[in-house]
Amino acid sequence: MIRTKKIESKPLNIFEKVYIFEILRGFSVTLKHFFRNLFFPSKIPTISYPEEKVPVLGNARYKSRHRIKLRKDGSPKCVACMMCSTICPAKCIYIEAAETDNYVEKYPKVFNIDISKCVMCGLCVEACPEDAIAMDTGEFVGGAYDRFENYKKNGLFLTKNELFIELKNDHISKVGAANRLANKYLEEKND
Amino acid sequence: MEGFEKLIIEILKNWLLIHKNEIYYIIETLLKIILFYGGIMNLAGLLTIGERKISALMQDRIGPNRANIWKFTLWGLFHPLADGIKMIMKEDFIPKKASKIMFTIAPIISMIPVLIVFAFIPFGDHLELGFYKIKFVIIETDLSFFLLVAISSLAIYGTFLGGFSSANNWAILGAIRAQAQMISYEVIVVLSVLPVIMIFQSSTLSEIVIKQKEMIAGFIPKWGIFLQPLSFIIFFAAVLAENKRTPFDVVEGESEIIGYFIEYGSMRFAAFMFAEYVEIILFSMLITIFFLGGWNFPFLYDNGFIIGSISIPLNHYIIVLIQLLSFAIKTVLISVIVIMIRWTLPRFRFDQIMKLAWQYLMPLSLLNLLITALIIRGIR
Repeated sequence: MIRTKKIESKPLNIFEKVYIFEILRGFSVTLKHFFRNLFFPSKIPTISYPEEKVPVLGNARYKSRHRIKLRKDGSPKCVACMMCSTICPAKCIYIEAAETDNYVEKYPKVFNIDISKCVMCGLCVEACPEDAIAMDTGEFVGGAYDRFENYKKNGLFLTKNELFIELKNDHISKVGAANRLANKYLEEKND
Repeated sequence: MEGFEKLIIEILKNWLLIHKNEIYYIIETLLKIILFYGGIMNLAGLLTIGERKISALMQDRIGPNRANIWKFTLWGLFHPLADGIKMIMKEDFIPKKASKIMFTIAPIISMIPVLIVFAFIPFGDHLELGFYKIKFVIIETDLSFFLLVAISSLAIYGTFLGGFSSANNWAILGAIRAQAQMISYEVIVVLSVLPVIMIFQSSTLSEIVIKQKEMIAGFIPKWGIFLQPLSFIIFFAAVLAENKRTPFDVVEGESEIIGYFIEYGSMRFAAFMFAEYVEIILFSMLITIFFLGGWNFPFLYDNGFIIGSISIPLNHYIIVLIQLLSFAIKTVLISVIVIMIRWTLPRFRFDQIMKLAWQYLMPLSLLNLLITALIIRGIR
């Protein structure tokens, strides 16, 4: 069965037919916005992005800027296994490994991420066997005018200084793994 | 040899003395052309940024503000410059099937008639420099209004030559629409101004302006808008339609057919675009002249302000300056209103446009003409 719905449009009255009064009414709407935005530019909701940044809303788990988690003693969790730089589709991670004093594990002497190449896919986080690299800083780097010359100045090139950071309330990541049970085990072992 | 040099100098001196007036005239005209056309070109450039800024503010946006020279943005005033550089640097493309000659000359044809017409426009009264009197109009003839209409209607050739020569169906569609629309509204443009010409009994633009100097009943300026309000509305609408601007922009129709200039790029496209903005300035000036008193300022006469019994005498140069500024400000105001109309009103359908022209505006302007003629006859 075909259902029909009849929409009745109101017939225009004489003022609407003449159209000049309606034009003036339209002007009153656009002019209101025009003068409001002219005299109070702060009321325009635009955010001028690279200069002006707003924090990420709520507890949303966006993929944001990378960081390397730290252990309790301040050394990076990263063991320079090259998993992340291998899987990276954009080839933006550069690692130079070096030996630690205890001759058991390695550590990254150089750890660079070129954010201007990064596609924010998150594969490095998936690949990391030590749960060292994470994309949970809540910062969004980018929006520079020049990709090739000034990108180091614009914060598009992350080195150890920017990557090896602790976040506030970061009690979980300070111990070993992201798994809750494994954390518990490691904590007991440390004590 | 010395005698020969002296002879030449003597001949030159005599020639200069005989042709003194012609030389003064040439210098004066050149100066006026440079100043007036320079002003128009700059205003057209400013209108492009003005349109973007005003539309942005109306829609709660910021608008262009990033083009800079050494980090000075000046609220985006460098954007016309950046646009120009971009247009020049772009590829100059001619479609394979297009007719090359027509395709090339179409933007020029659409640009030149509009620019020529400004020569007839009086942008001020006269300036007396001691013995010499400068009239602020480049060409003054008795026929200035009819010449103006005749030349400016040539601009339509650029539009449809561009559309037909670019071998593109959308372009041809746009050009056909443009032909129909521009030709029908041209009739109305002339018909709606005729009552004003009848009232002021002159077809010279500067004389029409001079006759609007007086006051009605002591406080209303004797401007065309107060004497012929209906004529003003019809003229405004018709002139908007002839310039193919919103709400009459089915010719271009950004969202459907791009219009007659769909195949154009780089500076050729810029010429079409620039011609459109120059045309806005042209008809803002025409509206100012016919309906808003041209360079007249209320209560300002040849010797200063006279309001009732109070009179404030002013220097001649200050009066000339006020008149020039008055003309410029009126022109800019009308241009801004035209831009505002574009960002306020929705587009008409094509059948509505033709219906408006032939069924409403045409009979109304004829009726207006008839009534005006009867009243003038009755008063005599």
